[in-house]
Parts: sequence; C-alpha cells; structure tokens
Amino acid sequence: MEVAGAFVAWLGIFVVVLADGRYGLALGTLLAAVGIAAVSLPIAGPTASAALAVGGLIASAGRLVAGPPGWTVMPAGSTPRLVLGVAGGLLALWVGLAVTSGSGAGLRFAVISMLSLAAARALSSDSGPVVLTAFGLLALAVGAAAGLSGPPHDGWPYLAAATVAAAAAWVPLRTPRAA
Amino acid sequence: MPSAAVLGPVVLPLIAAGVIAIFGFAGKSLGRVAAAAGAWSSLLALLAVWVPIRSSLELSLGPLGFGSSFDLRTDGVTFAFGLMIATPAAILLTVQPRAWPQAVLSLLALASAMAAVESAGVVLTAVAGGTAATLAVVLLVTEDPRARRPSWAMLLAGWLALSWFGVILQVGGGTAVYSAVPVATVTGPLFALLTASAVLVSCLFPWRTWPADLWTRPSLRAAGITVATLYPMGFYLLVRAYELGDDRYPHPLFNVALAVIGLTTAFAAAARAQAAPTRREFLGELIPGFGGFALTAIALGTPLGLIGGLILLATASAMVACLALLPDQAGVASLVTIAAAVGLPPGIAFGARVIGIEATFEAGDFIGLIGVASVVTWVTWMVGGARAIGLPAGRGHPLVETSPKVSLLIAMLTLVGGPALAVIKAGFADPVAAEVMQPSTSALTGGLTNVVTVSSVLPAATLFAPLLVFAALAYGLANMSTIRTQARPALFKVPAAEALSRARTALRSASVPEQYRTILNVRELEMAAAGGQPVLWLGALVALAYAVTR
Amino acid sequence: MLPEALELVVLAAAALVLALAFAPVPTSRRGLIAKGGAGLAGTAAVAAVPTFDLALLVLLALAVLHATIEGKRTLASRLRAPVFAVALLALGALFARVQGPDVVHRFAAVGLAAGLAAAIGLMPYLHPFDPEERIMSSPIAWLAYIGPAVAAVMVADAHGLLNADTSAAFAATLIGLGLLNMAWGSIAAWLTENGGAAWRYSFIADWGLALSGFGVAVTDGRRAALLIFFTILLGRLPLYFASRGEVRGRVATERPINLLVAAALAGSAPFAGFAARVLLLRGATQLFWPLALVLAAGMLLWLPSSLRLGRSLGVPRGRQAVGVALVLAINVAVGLYPLPLLAAARL
Repeated sequence: MEVAGAFVAWLGIFVVVLADGRYGLALGTLLAAVGIAAVSLPIAGPTASAALAVGGLIASAGRLVAGPPGWTVMPAGSTPRLVLGVAGGLLALWVGLAVTSGSGAGLRFAVISMLSLAAARALSSDSGPVVLTAFGLLALAVGAAAGLSGPPHDGWPYLAAATVAAAAAWVPLRTPRAA
Repeated sequence: MPSAAVLGPVVLPLIAAGVIAIFGFAGKSLGRVAAAAGAWSSLLALLAVWVPIRSSLELSLGPLGFGSSFDLRTDGVTFAFGLMIATPAAILLTVQPRAWPQAVLSLLALASAMAAVESAGVVLTAVAGGTAATLAVVLLVTEDPRARRPSWAMLLAGWLALSWFGVILQVGGGTAVYSAVPVATVTGPLFALLTASAVLVSCLFPWRTWPADLWTRPSLRAAGITVATLYPMGFYLLVRAYELGDDRYPHPLFNVALAVIGLTTAFAAAARAQAAPTRREFLGELIPGFGGFALTAIALGTPLGLIGGLILLATASAMVACLALLPDQAGVASLVTIAAAVGLPPGIAFGARVIGIEATFEAGDFIGLIGVASVVTWVTWMVGGARAIGLPAGRGHPLVETSPKVSLLIAMLTLVGGPALAVIKAGFADPVAAEVMQPSTSALTGGLTNVVTVSSVLPAATLFAPLLVFAALAYGLANMSTIRTQARPALFKVPAAEALSRARTALRSASVPEQYRTILNVRELEMAAAGGQPVLWLGALVALAYAVTR
Repeated sequence: MLPEALELVVLAAAALVLALAFAPVPTSRRGLIAKGGAGLAGTAAVAAVPTFDLALLVLLALAVLHATIEGKRTLASRLRAPVFAVALLALGALFARVQGPDVVHRFAAVGLAAGLAAAIGLMPYLHPFDPEERIMSSPIAWLAYIGPAVAAVMVADAHGLLNADTSAAFAATLIGLGLLNMAWGSIAAWLTENGGAAWRYSFIADWGLALSGFGVAVTDGRRAALLIFFTILLGRLPLYFASRGEVRGRVATERPINLLVAAALAGSAPFAGFAARVLLLRGATQLFWPLALVLAAGMLLWLPSSLRLGRSLGVPRGRQAVGVALVLAINVAVGLYPLPLLAAARL
C-alpha cells in the first residue's frame, strides 16, 4: 500500500510536470492526491488521509474546468521535463530510501518528489493554471510532511493542506493590468 | 544640589527649540531672543551645577535598551567642554539673525553636544554625538546645499567607531561607563579604535578638511554652530581616554603618535595659512591650527600638557565665535583677531602655547623634539599672521550676520587675558586634570597668579601684565594707516603640496577602464539578479549547499 | 505565539494605520483596508499556528491571496517565488526531522535559510519588481509588511527543528546571506537608475542587517533584528508610501525634512536604526569581532542611497507632512529609548 501510494504520488506529479492542458493537469492532481493520501494513511490515519484525498479531488475538479483546453501531455520541447521528472524521481528515491533512514520511507519519497518537482514545475512555467496546479500539489505535500515529525499527529496540517490545495485550483485567472 | 539639575544644560535648549518650532509652524518667528535664551540658559545651567559644588554630580535613570543606561554626569571635564561648546553657540545665536528652522536645528545641535559631554558612558556619548553630527550636516545643507560641508560618511564612521568601542568595553569589561571601565579592558588595539574615532570626529588630519573649509562658505551662521558643537568632541574623547586608562594611554607610542598627528596638523595648517591668498582663508586655518597644538599638548600624557591643551581649546572656541562674527573688512577687529590667534604675547594663546611647549620638555626623552617642532610651527603662524594683516579680505559674508564690535571684544579679551592665565588654569583646566589624572595632580599648584611646572614657574600675572602694557604702547605708536591690503606671495611652498593635490584629484576622478566596464555594468548585473531566473535560483541554492556542507 | 512575532504583527498593524491615515490621495483607502487587513490577518495566522507545517500552509494561502491582487505581473510570476520558498522550507524541515548522516541535516539548514530568503524576496532570490506597480501587489508587501513577522517565526521554528551543530550552520548561512544583501542592497540602492527600484533595494539592505542579527545567535542579535524590523515597518515603509504620491510631479529637494529622512533611513543617531546597529555590533563582537568590523564598514554604505531616497520624497505637504513628521518622531523616540519595545518582545 505504502509503496503503491508513493509510486502513484510520483506518477501524479510526473504527469503534472509533463502536461500543459487542463485534463492532463487534472489527472496528475488526482493521481498525486490519491497517492499521497494512501502513503499517509498508516501514519496520519483515515480521517487525515481522506482530507488529503478530498482536497486533491476538489483541486482536480477545479483544474478540469479552468485552464488550457485538452491534454497536451508531452508537447513538443518537453524532453527536458521528461528528464526532470525521471531524474527527480530517482533522486527522491535515493534520498528517501538510501540516504535517509527510519520508518516512512515511502512517505519521504513521495513528499520529496512532490515538493521538488512541484517547485521545478512552477519555476519553469509562465502559465497560471500550471503554476496553480503545482501550488496545490505543493500544499498537499507540505501537509503530508507533517507525518514525518513524529507522533502524535493531529489532523490540522492535513485539513489545512487540503483546504489550500482545493481553494487554489478555483482561483480566477485574470490578465495583468498594463497600468 | 539635586541630581536632576544635570539635565538642565540639555533640556533647556530642547525646550527652547520646541517653543520656537511651535511658534514657527504657527507662522510667528520669535527671532533671536528665544534662541539666545535657550543657549544662554544651557550655559547658565552648567555653571549653576558646577560652580557651587565643584565636584561630580550624577543622574542615573535606568537602562535604555541598547546595553547602555541613561547616566549623565557633570564633572570637571563636562564643565570644561560644556563651556567650550555652549559659549560660542550662545554668542552666535544671540548676535546672528537666522530663520526659525535654523534656530531650532542649532539649539538641537547644542543640546545634543551637551548631552554628549554630559554622558557618563561611551555608548551614550556616541548616540548624542552622532545626533549632533547629523543635525550639523542638516543645518549646513539646508543653509546652502552647494557650499562646503563635512563628509557625512566620515562623521558617521567616527561615531559608529566610538559606539563599537563602547560595546566592546561592555562585552569585555562589563561596562562602558568612563569611571568604571576596568583598566585592563582598554588594550592597545581597542585604544587605536578610540583614537581613530576621535580623529575622524574632529577631522584631525594634516590636509584641509571641514574645520577649515567651513569658513569659506558664503554664510557663516551654520558654520559657526557646527564648528562650535562638533570640533571639541574628538578632544573630549581623548581626554576621557585618560580616565579610561587610569591617567595614561595604554602605551607611550599612542602619546607620541597623537602628538605627532597634532603637530603635523598644526604645521600643515600654518603652511596653508601662510600661503593663503585672502585673509578669510588665513583665518579659516586658525581652528585646525589651534586644534593641532591642543592635540600635541593633550597627547603628552602629563597634567601640564593636558592643561595647556585645554586652554588652547578654550581659546579656539572663543575664536569660533570671533571668526563667525568678523566681517571681511580691513580694520582693527581683523588685526586684533589675528594677533590673538597667532599667539602674540600677552594673549591666552601665547601663555597656553608656552605651557604646552614647556610640557614637552618636561616630558623628557625625545618628546622635547616635539617641543622644538612646536616652536617652529608657532613661528610660522606668527609670520603668516603678519602677512595676513595685509591680505585682501576675501569673498565676504553678509554684513547682517557679522558684528565687528563683538568680534573685537572677544579677540581683545583673548589678547589681554594672558595675565589671567593662572586663574583660567585654576578654574577651568585644573578640575579636568584632577578628574582624569588623579594620581598626578600634586604637580598642579601655583595659585591664581603663577603656573608652577615641574622644573619652573611661569609668573603669568607679573610677566604678562607688563607685556600687555608694552603691547598697548606699541599699538598706539604704530601707524596702521600704512597697511595696504594686496595680494602677497607665500613665504614658502610645501614641497609635496602640488603632488598631493594632483594625487587627490586623480583619486576622485578615478574610473573603471573602458575595457572592464562591461564586467562591472551595474544595470546588467541588476537585470540578471532581479530577473527571477530559475537557473540563477537553483545555482544559488547549489552554491549555498556546497558552502555549508563542505 | 512568539512574543517577537506578536509584536511585529502589532507593528504591521500600526504601519497599516499610518498608511491609511497619511496615504497619498489617489490610493483607495477601502482597497488598502481590505488588502492590508487580509495581509495582516495572514501574517498573524502564520505567527499564531502551533507547528511549522501549518505556518507553511498559511504562507501558501497568503501567497495565493497576494498573487490574486490586481497588478502588472502575471499570477505565475508572482507565485513562483513563494512556491519555491515553501518547497525549500518544507524540504529543509523534512531533512531536519529524518534520520540520516550529518550532511542531510546541513542541507536542512541550507533549505531553511534559502527558503526564508526566497519567501521574503532577498538576494539571491529577488522577486521580479516593477517600480510602477501598486505597493500592495508588489514584492514590497513581502519585504516590508508580511516579511518581518514571518521571518521571526521561521527563524524561531528553524532553531526548534535543528540540532546544535546544524543551528550553527543555519546561523552562518543567515550571516552570509545577510552580508550579501547588505552589500548588494546598499550599493544597488545608490547606483540603480530607477528611484522605485532604489527603495526596493534599500529594504533589501535593511534585511541584510536583520538576517545578520538573526545569524548572530545571541540575544543582542535578536534585539537588533527586532529594531531593524521596526525601522522597516514604521520607518522605511511609511516613508516609501509618502514618496509614491504624485510621483510624476515630484522634484528632488534638499530641505531639512529631506535630510532628516535621509538620516533616519541611513541609521544615523538618534534614530532607531542607530540603536539597532549598536546592538548588532554588540552581538557580533560577542560572537566574532572581525564580523563586527565588516558590519561596521558595511553600515557606511547606507549613506549615499539614503540621501538619494530622502531627496526623492520631495516636499511633503499637509497630511503627508504630518505623517512624515510622526514617523520621524516615533523613530527618534525608539532610537533613544528602545527598552519598552524590546521588553514587550521579552528580549
């Protein structure tokens, strides 16, 4: 469960890294949310995990209705992003499993990959929907990272993360003023 | 005497400034009366605190929050320097008309300077002195933005250095209160910092700086107040340094070095003065000249030297008021001013320089050479003064801000005050020496008519009084109408002066060579740094990680 | 809530009140209340939440709220820096919490320090800046309004996450970033062509002092940082507001008020900046005296830019003049007697 969840979380953020269209972004968000919720379940409990999942679901729905049309997964010129996603995942895997130790390796991998790839995606894009999607996944990852601080784990970080992620996807996008 | 009386010299000019400002904003100028009242009240309050008891009075109001407490103290040093600051300021504020904002700034500067000399600790002195410096710059720039003024950076550097000195004392010795600092805390390197601060604050450099430059401004209202409030500060620090070091500097080398700096300053001022093209420029060099001699004497480390230096500083402070009020015209006021300033007998300057030179010989070893060099410098001043009498006046400043009668009175008092040298020493300088050089005060004797030194006695009253009569006779017999003002050649040129001047000009106009300008193009650097480039951000992160984890 | 952070929130509220009372006429007061109030609430929330993770999430929320304010920059460009910052901070916290070799924990120190700099918009993570943009939507809001309380919280939380060795690395990183920002900010404020950019760099220079204060991990360093934040919130920020009114018609002048403003901005006595500098020198001397020497030399770089900024204020009139005078008076009062301010923060 933990391994599957971590992989799905990485897959979700990987799709977000590769996609420019709203369908691709929505799918990536959903996958990442489900994955991070699954990997957090043993540590955070069902309620907190469910909050993450619901937050991600709402974020995914929000992205589905607002953003560039279509999937646009791996458009032309996205090879660097492909390399980024794979290399980033491998690096996160190495750090999460080999460099660091202790329980929760899957959670570490998922959080590291989501944090770093979300930040990289935000840095490399000028598109509002893309940056907001990365933003939402960043929030979910931050919430899930609370599980690494050792027990007891209260649900507030997860709830807050879910709220921020959900709200961010529904932010109206305006064109900047010239004056 | 209630200890709250210590606040008087600081608070009274503040109140006056507040009243003037309130009326000023309401559209009514209170004129010179309020400004004069504020300044004279500060002086009178200082006298009222010191004269009745002639011993220290302290006020402590608790911690301020930046490691220092609000501790004020009036002692012999405070009295002497307070007089030096407040007296010329009071005279100038009384005689010279000025706009109400200028009056307010002047009173605030006076209050800050008084607070600096009344502060019982180094850090508070730095805060108050820094405030006085800030106000002085504001005063000068608002009077005339294009005229010469002190380098704000240099002043700030000096006061910042002093505040650093103070915090090092707090960290190393537990306190920065002058009377409580453990002697062992004031090490050589630390003392060098204090020395640097003092030199920067009063600009005690051999080259021409603001104590001389300010006198060439078109108006001397702000210049007079600035020199009166700021110039004595560096000397104040060097005098207090004796208290910190339990009546000596940490190493004799500091005495020698400071004495040499003083002598170089005095001689360089004399060299410039004797080559000055106008009388105004000659007079401008008087204050640095006095300061140089004073520094030489104070740095000797003997009570006699300290006394001589203080009397010279007191004379300089009188000269500040005199110079600011002196019109740029030929006449008896200019003549007497020059005579008093160059140290003609039987003036106070004459007596003080005699004491200072005597102190160098009594200090022993090769310090006597400094005395010989001081004599040479003094002679240069006298000759330069004789030349200056016949120089053209100069650009001139508005007559409305001058008062030849008051200027003449100050110069006359300085010139005829020589017989009262012993009285001045007893009332003004002896308390300072007693405060900062306690173990050595057995050497300070002589009463009100003589100055007794280790090896001789200077009979001030009985020697200078006849000299005064002779001088009066000589003046009466001389025919002043034969003096014609005209351009006169310099007596000598300083060999390296032109080269130094060229070097300074080259330094000021230095620029990056053309072929390297693209490397140091600020605009391109700025665009690169502020562009929000992800590669730059990631690169910076990698660099930080490398720096921290290696 | 950390007492320092609470006090900084109060000071931010006071800055908002000053802006409302003395803002230039074209500014919409209703908009200022709404946006300023929201920023204040968010900042207070960052200070109030009990854990570092919640603080990061509140910071994210604040970032997205700020990014949605109308402005010249795109949403993406405005969100980029906060996203990067939170990612670094979160990674730093993660590395601090997990078990692993020492180098992992040192990466934590780097992440936390770099993340803080990225959140505020300091070197080397300067946010894109348009001098003509409204203050509330520009990076100045992070530098001068939200930033101080956030920084106090982040630094305190970071010390809670790190062990003794990595705390030292964190402090060293802060000092390094502090010196970099001091130098860059003060020189750029002096030499940059645009007046608005000069103000921004002057904020950055002040942040350099504050970071150095945090890095000098003795009480005097924190006191210095608090006073620097005071000078930012109730000194530089209100004066920046005042300089923005009727920008096109403003002529640089050199009246007493301009020079007093320059003195306040330069940290000359008797203003609060001087007291902050004294405390910083005290703290640096306790830690490593050559650092104090470098800091003292760097402090002189404030003067040229401060003179420029003081002149750019023009001649404030009417209510603006009252505002400027009030700001200067407050700075003098705190500069001469900072004890109440420090005592309120339990420093």
